[in-house]
Amino acid sequence: MAKAVKRIKWKHYANYIVIAILTVVFSIMSLSGSLTSSTIYLLEKIIIAVMLTVSLSVVVGFLGELSLGHAGFMCVGAYLGGKTACLLQPTMGNSFPALLVSLVVGGAVAALCGVIIGLPALRLKGDYLAIVTLAFGEIVRSIFMNSSSESFGGSLGLTTPRYDKNTLFIIALVLVLGCLAVIQNLIQSKHGRAITSIRDNEIAARATGINVTQYKLSVFTIAAFFAGIAGVLYSFSNYTIQSTKFNYNYSIEILVMVVLGGMGSINGSIIAATLITILDIKLQTILTGNLAVLQDLLYALVLIILVIYNNAPALKGFRERHTLKNYLYKFSKGKHDPSHRADDEAKWDRVPTKIEMNEVLSTEFQPTMSTLNPDQKGDFK
Amino acid sequence: MKKTKLLAIITMVALLVSSLVGCGGPNYTKDNTEFVIGVSGPLTGPTAVYGTAVKNSAEMAVDEINAAGGLNGIKFKLVATDDKHDATNVATNYSSMLEGGMQVSLGTVTTGPGLEFTNLSVEDNVFFLTPSASGDKIPQNDNGFQMCFADGNQGAVAAEYVNDNYKGQTIGIFYKSDDAYSNGIYEQFKDNLDDSIKTVESVFTDANTTDFSTQISSLKDCKFIFMPIYYTPASLFMTQAKDQIAADAIYYGCDGFDGIESADGFDINAIPQEVTMLSHFNSKATEGKAAEFIKKYTEKYGADTLNQFGASAYDCVYAIFNAMKEAIDEGKEIDVTISASDLCDILKEKFAGDFTYTGVTGEEGKAISWKENGYVEKGAVKYVIKEATK
Amino acid sequence: MEIIETLINGLSSGGTYAMIALGYTMVYGIAKMLNFAHGDIIMVGGYMLYVTMITAGNPMLGLIAAVIFCVLLGITVEKIAYKPLRGASPLAVLITAIGVSYLLQSTAQMIFGTAPKMVIIADMGNFEVGALKIPYYTIVTLVCSFVIMIALTMFVKTTKIGRAMVAVSEDRGAAQLMGINVNGIIMITFAIGSALAAFAGFFMLMKAPSLSNTLGAMPGIKAFTAAVIGGIGSIPGAMCGGILLGVVEAISFKIPVIAPYTDAIEFMILILILLVRPTGIMGKVRREKV
Repeated sequence: MAKAVKRIKWKHYANYIVIAILTVVFSIMSLSGSLTSSTIYLLEKIIIAVMLTVSLSVVVGFLGELSLGHAGFMCVGAYLGGKTACLLQPTMGNSFPALLVSLVVGGAVAALCGVIIGLPALRLKGDYLAIVTLAFGEIVRSIFMNSSSESFGGSLGLTTPRYDKNTLFIIALVLVLGCLAVIQNLIQSKHGRAITSIRDNEIAARATGINVTQYKLSVFTIAAFFAGIAGVLYSFSNYTIQSTKFNYNYSIEILVMVVLGGMGSINGSIIAATLITILDIKLQTILTGNLAVLQDLLYALVLIILVIYNNAPALKGFRERHTLKNYLYKFSKGKHDPSHRADDEAKWDRVPTKIEMNEVLSTEFQPTMSTLNPDQKGDFK
Repeated sequence: MKKTKLLAIITMVALLVSSLVGCGGPNYTKDNTEFVIGVSGPLTGPTAVYGTAVKNSAEMAVDEINAAGGLNGIKFKLVATDDKHDATNVATNYSSMLEGGMQVSLGTVTTGPGLEFTNLSVEDNVFFLTPSASGDKIPQNDNGFQMCFADGNQGAVAAEYVNDNYKGQTIGIFYKSDDAYSNGIYEQFKDNLDDSIKTVESVFTDANTTDFSTQISSLKDCKFIFMPIYYTPASLFMTQAKDQIAADAIYYGCDGFDGIESADGFDINAIPQEVTMLSHFNSKATEGKAAEFIKKYTEKYGADTLNQFGASAYDCVYAIFNAMKEAIDEGKEIDVTISASDLCDILKEKFAGDFTYTGVTGEEGKAISWKENGYVEKGAVKYVIKEATK
Repeated sequence: MEIIETLINGLSSGGTYAMIALGYTMVYGIAKMLNFAHGDIIMVGGYMLYVTMITAGNPMLGLIAAVIFCVLLGITVEKIAYKPLRGASPLAVLITAIGVSYLLQSTAQMIFGTAPKMVIIADMGNFEVGALKIPYYTIVTLVCSFVIMIALTMFVKTTKIGRAMVAVSEDRGAAQLMGINVNGIIMITFAIGSALAAFAGFFMLMKAPSLSNTLGAMPGIKAFTAAVIGGIGSIPGAMCGGILLGVVEAISFKIPVIAPYTDAIEFMILILILLVRPTGIMGKVRREKV
């Protein structure tokens, strides 16, 4: 028994524990009435952002496909969930069952959209897929925008019942836990390894018998489902929802959070979503007038520098020498251990399929970078 | 190693919790030394000109009131927050203002975020008098009032004018189908339009649409074009259409047209057609209170952001001030730490009652009054901004 | 008459889309990346034009200044942001491009603010034959865009640099072995794409004289769509895609019932075409090798 307890790697569950503790702490505070409403609104925003970022992270970070239509799935969830809540209000009121039904409807319809958009995605790759998802987001937005005022409110927006703000964010925190459980277990399972292998080399993955089609479709569906759930939460945390909110800029905002958090890191996504949302709100009051644009400028610069630093083939050697881990190691042990390489350790959220299939197997001569890169020279000699 | 990590996690959680939690009870106004007026509007982004006008004008009114001694010696303070014309930001703005001691509000500047504000403010019973959020649903609760005309009202008045003058003819309508303001006026206009009048409709959607050639070619045979849109796209439409639409045609707009003659780079005299608008404020007034306001505003902030939004906000502050003053004269107790809810009850009663106010908007010298449902009653004036070039 | 007018309108805005789409498609064909920031080059060109017109007052001078500035900007962006990522995953390059797009937009907003500027390039009248009434700028745009497209096709087909571009897009490695300076060719491609963007910006402003920092955002995405419809990487494909999109847009705006859905219809066409032909109308199907 004691052995079994020991075998559990607690660090795998660190994020669950943190969120669970937060849930309990905030529930107690909320019940005792010591949370101000501005804190509650901020918490709601953070939770929605976390859910969106984590779900997009599966598509971008693990499957390696770029989706620019995440706001579209959220939009579907928000409108369908909100409408369901409106329809249920006369019979069920603003109750928990009504919320549950709305969540299921919103999530399911968004997931269905995920399947629909995933189907052409099976035939498309990379850049084509990016434009199709972008197109999807804009189509969805346009449809809700021009709906009649009786159906989805049209340009005035849909007026939705707002759930009790003192309990909504607790439900939302529990939903985030659920979302994490699903996504983390998926990533850690053999399916997760299959998904990351598709990211690293689709053809090789296919050759080893992985059903690429099925995996891509299921990843899209899961991501869309949680985006839909986030959308329903959004509609419950606002009195009105307007489709102008869900434009492609919003999708890109979510993408920025994923990238800043670190591609393929769930914990990174959570932290980035939290910090950026808090920063957004704080900066909104500090930077006014023409200075407000500084914020966008900063994000854009950080995004560019981070992506170049993390991906430039020329910087590969530098990156491996200067990882945070090495520094931490140095700090704790006082000396640098060259055998301690980032790739060697099986981190739970970074599935170690980092074999660069392209570089090893490619018959295409890529003279640009691989020859410049001292680490790779051996492969060609 | 493990301990360091655990420590790091605990520190992070503690930091997060402490950053999120501010202490405070429901009694936010107990430390107030001034009456706090809050407003949420777009201070950045493409619609910033409206938010800035409201902020400037309200500030001007507050300064004037304070310079004249305030309300029985108590001064006023304006808190303006930026919602970027996005309803999602309203909840945060509203709650931070309320927790900062806001006692009375000017609501939001634009309609989209305004609906959110309407619903939030009724929860806490906070009085608001919005200068420019013209949506029909904005004053749906008893704590909300408008200083501008409701969209439906504008549409109906415009339709009446068209019914009288264009019976049996064909008129053009040019509107923005994804905009709450434009759509609101359009729908009421259509509902009230006489059956004998045929319409040619043309729309645009995206805020970044700048090429109107197709829309112009649809409307080119119309002699009267109703344009319930803001002046930026309107000025662009007119510039592109000046040679294609008949020179004796009339462009007829609502309060969104206000300020069109000072649009950046737009020379209104270069277009041959007549430009007319229906509004509650004449930004070209040369005499009376409106002219006085224009002069003061231009001296302080320049003419760039001068428009009816600002004039309306100026009136809002004064109307609230007058109502509070009258209430005190009637024996109501209003001290500086009065809670938002208590003040709301007093002001609601005043505004829904027979309170009137004469300001810079509306017909010169005529009093403005409010209906019980929150809509304003004042004179709408048809201003010919520019006559047709003969 | 109305049909002819709508068609001419559509062809003219289609010509502009095609010019922007050419920038996307050439860069994609040669550098194998989607330059998401291409639309914003248009905007930068527009501001350059605006500044020159204020100081010098001559639109032609403004066009030249805009073209030169855009070419330099295109090359700089390529050198700083995209070149270090050559060989990295396409996802990283695409995200960087998105970052560059936002960087350009926010920089422009910093300098010029958000309020749209009005840039009146030239006051031209209408071309009238009978009941037909078409503004001259439409015709100028139409003619110029077709001339530019033909010139570009000739350039790629006949000149040495053009042939080198085709070679690089076919097989970068082989082209390098044949002695082609791949980096130089990529630079030239960016330069041509940016120059086309500057021209497109000029025509857009001639038609609709409103300049803001989001001038290039939506046309950029539409042209991107056009390039994908036509088959990204294919020069005639980009032209077809652009013109198709322009005509569809004009017709759609003309019918009141579907006019609000114009954007949705354009994107629908994209998805439908990609479902039938995953590489667009004229795109080449590439076998993937390991």
